[in-house]
Amino acid sequence: MDINRRQVLWAGGAIGASALLAACSGGGDTSDKAAGAGAKPKKGGTLRVGALGRASAVTRDPHGTQANESDYLVISLVHDTLTTPGAKTNTAPRLASGWQASDDLKTWRFTIAKGAKFHDGTPVTAEDVVWSLRRLRGTPSGASRLPGIKAENIKAEGTGTVVLVSDYANAELPLLTRLTTFVLKKDTSEKELGKAPGTGPFKLEWFRSGNARLVRNEDWHGGEVLLDAIEVKIFESPQAMSNALLAGQIDVASNVGAVAARTAEKRGDIQIVRRPNDMAMPIVMRTASGPFANPKVREALRLAVDREAMVKQVLSGYGTVGNDILGTGDPAYAKDVPQRARDLAKAKSLLKEAGFDTSKTYKLVTTEDISGLAESATLFATQVREAGVKIEVVKQESATFWDKTWLKGDLYTTYWGTNDSVVFFASKTMVSESGQNETGWKNTAFDAAYRKTIGTKDAAARAKVLRELQQIQHDTSGYLLWGVADGIDLAAAPVRGLPTLPGYGRVQLERAWLAR
Amino acid sequence: MAGPLSRTATQPATGPAGGEDLRPARPVLSGVLRLGGLLARRALLLAVLLATVFAAVELLPGDAANATSERGESAADLAQRRELLGLDRPVLTRFTDWMTGLPTGDLGTTARGESVADLLSRPFPNTLLLGGLALLATLVLSLALGCWAALKPGGRADRAVSATATGVLALPEFVVAVALVLVFALWTDWLPAVTLTDADGSPASWQMLVLPVLALAIPQIGWNTRIVRAALADEAKAPHVETALIDGLPRRRILVHHLLPGATPTIAAGVATSTGMLLGGAVVVETIFNYPGIGSVLAGAVTDRDSPVVAGVVAITGAVITGVFLLADLVRAWASGGRI
Repeated sequence: MDINRRQVLWAGGAIGASALLAACSGGGDTSDKAAGAGAKPKKGGTLRVGALGRASAVTRDPHGTQANESDYLVISLVHDTLTTPGAKTNTAPRLASGWQASDDLKTWRFTIAKGAKFHDGTPVTAEDVVWSLRRLRGTPSGASRLPGIKAENIKAEGTGTVVLVSDYANAELPLLTRLTTFVLKKDTSEKELGKAPGTGPFKLEWFRSGNARLVRNEDWHGGEVLLDAIEVKIFESPQAMSNALLAGQIDVASNVGAVAARTAEKRGDIQIVRRPNDMAMPIVMRTASGPFANPKVREALRLAVDREAMVKQVLSGYGTVGNDILGTGDPAYAKDVPQRARDLAKAKSLLKEAGFDTSKTYKLVTTEDISGLAESATLFATQVREAGVKIEVVKQESATFWDKTWLKGDLYTTYWGTNDSVVFFASKTMVSESGQNETGWKNTAFDAAYRKTIGTKDAAARAKVLRELQQIQHDTSGYLLWGVADGIDLAAAPVRGLPTLPGYGRVQLERAWLAR
Repeated sequence: MAGPLSRTATQPATGPAGGEDLRPARPVLSGVLRLGGLLARRALLLAVLLATVFAAVELLPGDAANATSERGESAADLAQRRELLGLDRPVLTRFTDWMTGLPTGDLGTTARGESVADLLSRPFPNTLLLGGLALLATLVLSLALGCWAALKPGGRADRAVSATATGVLALPEFVVAVALVLVFALWTDWLPAVTLTDADGSPASWQMLVLPVLALAIPQIGWNTRIVRAALADEAKAPHVETALIDGLPRRRILVHHLLPGATPTIAAGVATSTGMLLGGAVVVETIFNYPGIGSVLAGAVTDRDSPVVAGVVAITGAVITGVFLLADLVRAWASGGRI
């Protein structure tokens, strides 16, 4: 029990005493991890979770822009969204226990879960949900968070049903209600937002400068919560968070990254939790104009990249190889599309056919927004050089990049954290009229496939057309998806029941428990 | 983390308070007037600095509306956000608005709709605590080391202290910080690796302060030990010290009664200069130790182009540094005046 030596030395308060008890009981080592894996979940204990965030960007508004993972974690433990990311289907029930679409796929009825109550005991009504969704719709981000749904088309039907009417047929509408549809009591005042009672698995005890303590909601509609409390600690840097975990000051370092995992590999008493399909870092090649407008050139670059080497070096092996289709974590992801592999000879001949000017040096613009992004650009440049393409990597400061390069540049890196839906990417970044058409792509066959996908109610027919949509993307889109990074959490040995879903699925801590 | 060069550059700026010639006639009134003038000058300097901050943030690419938006917001959404944040008004209007709130303690609103004064209310005292302890450690240790070295000029202690001090002052804070975490937290497990806060937003235990304070203070101790040692050496050449030596007074007595009083103005100026360095170094050290201070707030605010937050941090740290400089000026005036 190396971790607790200091706490025993300084033992003063309750923490020291409990650490001492843990040390005396002789548990908590790797042997315990193996033994506890199949053990019966235990009630009790406080889980100390580190999450990334900046003190200057703290947001308490559940419908605001949460730049801090720590804020989002707190909000999503206190408040429920209508639906939530799931494992078998990418949309699982949360505050809504079920949903039903009309035949034209425009009108969707969400049923509020039985027994759902706010933390002050009042039952959740459809009016509360309608008020919350309309409030969300009214924020500057509202139009992009609930696309196609006007505020006046969010209505209550009785006390237990909420009706959303979309402007167009949308088979994937429930997907839109997963991440930010936090429900508050009707007419919660702006001042009370931070303290307003939620319906979630934990109640807020206190919140201060990004740190918070939450206690169990005994009456949660979603089932029994095991932990007594969760303490959320805000960390500005993954490095400090990893140090805190290694030194035993926190139990979970959420989304701490591959670098920290590499350090922790040597430690037997630390669990490395991998959440596949967490972060896509595709290279964007402009299809509308410029040197990469010819599909043959794009195909050549896709054949020139060494995907395994990228995953191994850029992601330290913590990731999977991509096949130029975004939405790799979707249960409907087309695994049967043949994997594109490196073929330098073919790449060279394609470039020749396309008349690509190999004497020129092309700029690949990147940022250091997320770890590994700039490194991926550099390695990519080195690799495609072998196919005769000269690329110079240009690092831009984040704000400059989003202002000047994004959506406009010929060749740049981007990144996306929602990778469990193929349709999400199709609707946001690939269909002709999408607001974030990063590659400037206009493909009539793709557009038709997309419209058919979201307009088809029959599941089997939809799966077929969704497969077609992915094939078109694989063949001709402007994305080069070499791989997808795992999300990585580090956890102390006794922690059990941590989520393994990608992206925002990492906040589902309501089933976590402590084996000590 | 400016190098030693900037230190020597700022030192003359705090230069001799001057005006000892005003001595006998109504000393109190002239003192108050001088103090008032000094304060007014410093306040004006601060206002200019704040204007520069607003202008600088304005010149950076992107703005707070961009930085706090989500991907996929349309131009109309962005315009709505810009209006919500008041960014559609000219920078001069925003600056004047912000400045008029300043005397009432209103530091404006962050780009995410939180009150800046609230945002800084916990981090600022935390940084003051960290900086204050580091300043205290710097003062005590550099005085002790400097005096120890000066007791036997050219002796073994003198050479050892001077060499170490020079080596240490060249170390950037983050190198010191990373080394401290590695040795005292991760290898030996004697002290906490990071600072965690309790419900009231301050560090949860005193042990958490040890490493950040050391990381901040060590380079400054190096710098100030050199100053103390040099000031004492200068003072040792003064005739009254030589007389004391010839009179055969004990070395310790000479140090305390003859050398230190004369060296005080220089030492005070050196330590005061360190205040700025300590607060600057705090940005780095706070990140490494996850210390809940103002440094991390500032770094994030610049990324977000959040002018009210950046200006708020500059205003209150500027006020503190001004206060310390003023104190140093008073100490020097008192020390040199007392001798005449």
